[in-house]
Amino acid sequence: MKSIEIGCRPNRRKVLTAALSIGVASMLPGFALAASDGDPAALAFDGDTILLARGGLFVSDDDGRTWTAAETPGNVLSLATHRDRPGRVVAGLAVGGVSTSEDGGASWRVSDAGLPDGEINAVAIASRNSDMIYASVRGDGLWKSEDAGATWSLAMDRPWLDDAEREPLALASVELETGMGGIWIYAGTEVGLARVPDCFCRWQDVQPGNAMDALVAGEAPPSEAPLPGGQPILSLASAPSAPEVMYAALRSGLWASQDGGVIWQKRASKAATAVAVHPRDETYIAALLGGILKFSRDGGATWIETGEL
Amino acid sequence: MPMNKGPKNRLAKGTVRRSVHLAALVSTLATTGVVVLAQSEPVDPRVEGLTFLGEPVLASEVTAGQQLYADNCASCHGANLEGQPDWRRRLDTGRMPAPPHDDTGHTWHHSDRMLFQITKGGVGAVVPGYESDMPAFGEDLTDAEIEAILVYIKSTWPERQREFQAEVSANDTGG
Repeated sequence: MKSIEIGCRPNRRKVLTAALSIGVASMLPGFALAASDGDPAALAFDGDTILLARGGLFVSDDDGRTWTAAETPGNVLSLATHRDRPGRVVAGLAVGGVSTSEDGGASWRVSDAGLPDGEINAVAIASRNSDMIYASVRGDGLWKSEDAGATWSLAMDRPWLDDAEREPLALASVELETGMGGIWIYAGTEVGLARVPDCFCRWQDVQPGNAMDALVAGEAPPSEAPLPGGQPILSLASAPSAPEVMYAALRSGLWASQDGGVIWQKRASKAATAVAVHPRDETYIAALLGGILKFSRDGGATWIETGEL
Repeated sequence: MPMNKGPKNRLAKGTVRRSVHLAALVSTLATTGVVVLAQSEPVDPRVEGLTFLGEPVLASEVTAGQQLYADNCASCHGANLEGQPDWRRRLDTGRMPAPPHDDTGHTWHHSDRMLFQITKGGVGAVVPGYESDMPAFGEDLTDAEIEAILVYIKSTWPERQREFQAEVSANDTGG
């Protein structure tokens, strides 16, 4: 592993870092992000450790002040971790299916038995079962593994939105009760948000819990403020410490919800391509905004660039 | 469409049960005579470990439900509750095939109340706007017949699925 400093303060470390070659500099997350904010990228918290996949895999144990280049299992398109399983990292790859690490990204094993070929757009680990992994295969559907990636089976076809099947670009296991003995899986697609109970009965829109009551009673439907339609949802996160708190990365910005995705508010206006939330603090988030990695300690009200926390 | 919201507004279960019970009683009297009745043995026993909306299920309901299922449901969901082939993949119409009702499907994740609502009012009765090939059976089947079909389906589940579904039903407050 190679340690790379990307701190912003004019200290000795930064001077030494600046003296590194241009070739090494191209590996720095900050450089890579600033250069191409449209490229695939993924963020995840593994405990207090932050993982960033973009042009490589980088790990920071100090709130983004310094970064280490980790072993990469391939071209990583998506990442997932679990609050109760430190060190377990699941990576969805452009080629080669899903890889899993049990040591925070130091080593990887391929986990693709039964998976069809195809880009793994999105991965998620079930909030209530760290051995249950979900993976979205581009052009195919949603797959699940009940044994931490050893074997896979088709869970369900892709969501149906605006008269077509849509690619899930982001997945989140959201620990909110479905009323069917399980919890929800949310998918950010090319055109909007959908969710399915983890029994996989049907994809459906995100609606207020009392929407059906209002319909039956003939009352006005509860208020909603959905994410802007027609925009790809590139990244999605539900806070393990408060599952109803969700974040979504769209080209129109970084959006937040306090009620499981019914009402959304914009928290940052620059194009957002990835977001992750700390496992124990629903207000601590990391996001790629305008191609730059930024952090917020207040749920997105204010932001600090990498290296200044 | 009027829908049942929970135990307080549930099916007219007393009427249902009385009808089934009476039919079974008449049948018994016709075939075996009054002497059998005098022996005070149950003519329509409860099905062990099976309830619907919190109340016991009678064997005659399951039997009636099996025939009703064959007549109304099996053409899509399969004679053996196996569902349509490749049921996790969409049809060309964008709609999902009929899922199995056995333990390989997801029916046992739904509460009694929800299963009744879906059968009577269609999937749109529980997921507004959802498009499905399954019709609403409220015009063709009575509440008692819908219940009989559902208890038949439930009677086929292994113990684990029955227990899971019973818990889901118990936790379903109708919200």
